[in-house]
Amino acid sequence: MLKIKNLHVAIGGEEIIKGLDLDVGAGELHAIMGPNGSGKSTLGYALAGREGYEVTSGSMEFEGQDLTELEPEERAAAGLFLAFQYPVEIPGVNNAYFLRSALNAQRKARGEEEVDSMTFLKTVRESLKGLKMDEALLKRAVNEGFSGGEKKRNEIVQMAVLQPKLAVLDETDSGLDIDALKLVAEGINAQRNAQRSFVVITHYQRLLDYLAPDHVHVLSDGRIVESGGEELAERLEAEGYSFLEAASEA
Amino acid sequence: MSAILNKLAPEADLADDRYGDIRRRAHQRLMQYGFPDLKTEAWKYTSLRVLEKRELSAGGASEADRPGPLPFEADVIAMANGLIDPDALNLPAGVRLEPLSPADLINLDYGDRAGAMAWLNLARFEQAWRLVIEAPLARPLVLAMSTSEDFAAGVHPRLQIELSEGADAVLIEQQTDRGAGLVNIVEDVALARGARLRHVIQRRNADSVWVQRTRVAVSADADYRCHALDLGGRLVRQDLSVHLLEAGANGEIDGVAFIDSKQHVDWHTAIDHEVGHTNSRESFRILADGTGVGVFNGRIHIQRGADDSHSDLNTANLLLSENARINTKPELEIYAEEVTASHGATIGQLEDSALFYLRTRGLPVEQAMALLKYGFAAAPLENAEPAALRDWLTSELQTVL
Ligand SMILES: Nc1ncnc2c1ncn2[C@@H]1O[C@H](COP(=O)(O)OP(=O)(O)O)[C@@H](O)[C@H]1O
Ligand SMILES: [Mg+2]
Repeated sequence: MLKIKNLHVAIGGEEIIKGLDLDVGAGELHAIMGPNGSGKSTLGYALAGREGYEVTSGSMEFEGQDLTELEPEERAAAGLFLAFQYPVEIPGVNNAYFLRSALNAQRKARGEEEVDSMTFLKTVRESLKGLKMDEALLKRAVNEGFSGGEKKRNEIVQMAVLQPKLAVLDETDSGLDIDALKLVAEGINAQRNAQRSFVVITHYQRLLDYLAPDHVHVLSDGRIVESGGEELAERLEAEGYSFLEAASEA
Repeated sequence: MSAILNKLAPEADLADDRYGDIRRRAHQRLMQYGFPDLKTEAWKYTSLRVLEKRELSAGGASEADRPGPLPFEADVIAMANGLIDPDALNLPAGVRLEPLSPADLINLDYGDRAGAMAWLNLARFEQAWRLVIEAPLARPLVLAMSTSEDFAAGVHPRLQIELSEGADAVLIEQQTDRGAGLVNIVEDVALARGARLRHVIQRRNADSVWVQRTRVAVSADADYRCHALDLGGRLVRQDLSVHLLEAGANGEIDGVAFIDSKQHVDWHTAIDHEVGHTNSRESFRILADGTGVGVFNGRIHIQRGADDSHSDLNTANLLLSENARINTKPELEIYAEEVTASHGATIGQLEDSALFYLRTRGLPVEQAMALLKYGFAAAPLENAEPAALRDWLTSELQTVL
């Protein structure tokens, strides 16, 4: 599904990702953990194609396509989704209208029929309900005046509607209380199947408790310094990131 | 005498009709004060010199096409190339249209050179109308002002719009210019006690120079709301002043101007709280693209003694290209007590982060930008009622994004 090889990403000439390898197979859920500033969001933005995030060497392939050759919207239509760490407020743009336009733009790009508004509303309503979100949010402007938790859950709603092949979730759990965290985890689990893959960026083990990741990676200073199974997340929780220094000194 | 005056106001062809004295007096004032130039504060960003280069014909254009149909039922007064044909009217009950008499036009004062275009109108108007709305209207009344493609004349329509006590109307000025002349409108609106007017100014102009001066007088407990959607033109200058004359008067202006290459749109608004216990609110947004130039001057004046008045003015502007320009200036002048008044003005650009966010959801750049522009511009139109009116205005806006 996703193959990243020796990836280097620079922002404004400064290298942030410094040789990263990651291989995500179909249906797998990978967790990426790491201290603040280690480059987790930078990786997400580079995958999604944000301007200014320059891939200076290495490669990112998504289902055999070179991602760097695709515009952000083409990546989306190809099946890549990024849940933002800080979802953006778009004043004046109706949430439901935006989401339906986005879905139909993707479908159009793939040569599929547009969805009618009934089918669309049914899907959105179901996922809103699952996440215990008020339907009134559909009529509001995108993310505007949403609480921190509502913004995060809204990202999961978008994912559920857009049905990507690969979802990169950037700290969707941070700032959530334990109930909201459970809802988000359920929202993610509900979307899991043998084809769909996830890269879940998080600080905390608690989300992973609900998700049972196939692989856990530790990102530090732009590189993956450790990979393992769920036990790695437990170790990070217990010891903190301090053991990284020991690891890098060794 | 300036070249512009020579061109626009040759004394020899001043009409000598029943308004002759009024015209001569106005002409004299015009000659005395002269034309505004960029040193005239109110005309600092808008030059009328383009008129020097125009050969304005003396009428003679073909009949103007009607503007596009509206998606709701309405009664229409057509003004083609500046003229209303009184024989073609079919007015609803409660609406009258009649010529103004000379007595209606004496003692008018448009001040010095800043008011030159209004003096010019008074000297040279072709028709002067009083439109009286005496009752609540069941459906919107449309003043469809259009010009034809071969329109190259200078016209000076003059209108006095009166809403009687108890009147309640939606008046839509649907302005569609396709020509390259001069349309110089003077419009006086008066709301009697308790009257309500939703005044829509929807403009989509070609190459004509379009100057419109609208003065609104609001009596006790009357409610005036302007909804403006200005989709630009070669040169547009709109002055809109709302005078809150008695306690309980309410005045609101919601406006959006979208200005594209080779267009210049200048809105000067003023809300004047002449007495206490009056309220106003204004929200105005300008988007300028290409080489478009937008000017907004919004003045709120709360006069001495106009205590317990409330006002809020908000203007936001969006520059969509490097070559577009927007000059915006909110002005708050408060001389009263127990007043709440606020204002804010911003000039910004489309945010990269918002654009990126929309693109990651699959929207192509053009569509994402259109959505952001719409999101920015539509806010003032949200206040338009009824819903059919709001939907029409927002769909008109969407056609240019
Ligand atoms: N737009 C930017 N310009 C310059 N430096 C940036 C920018 N965004 C992130 N960085 C830097 O890149 C590093 C990694 O940031 P980020 O990817 O946000 O980390 P994380 O998500 O792991 O907390 C940090 O040192 C941060 O200061
Ligand atoms: Mg981050």
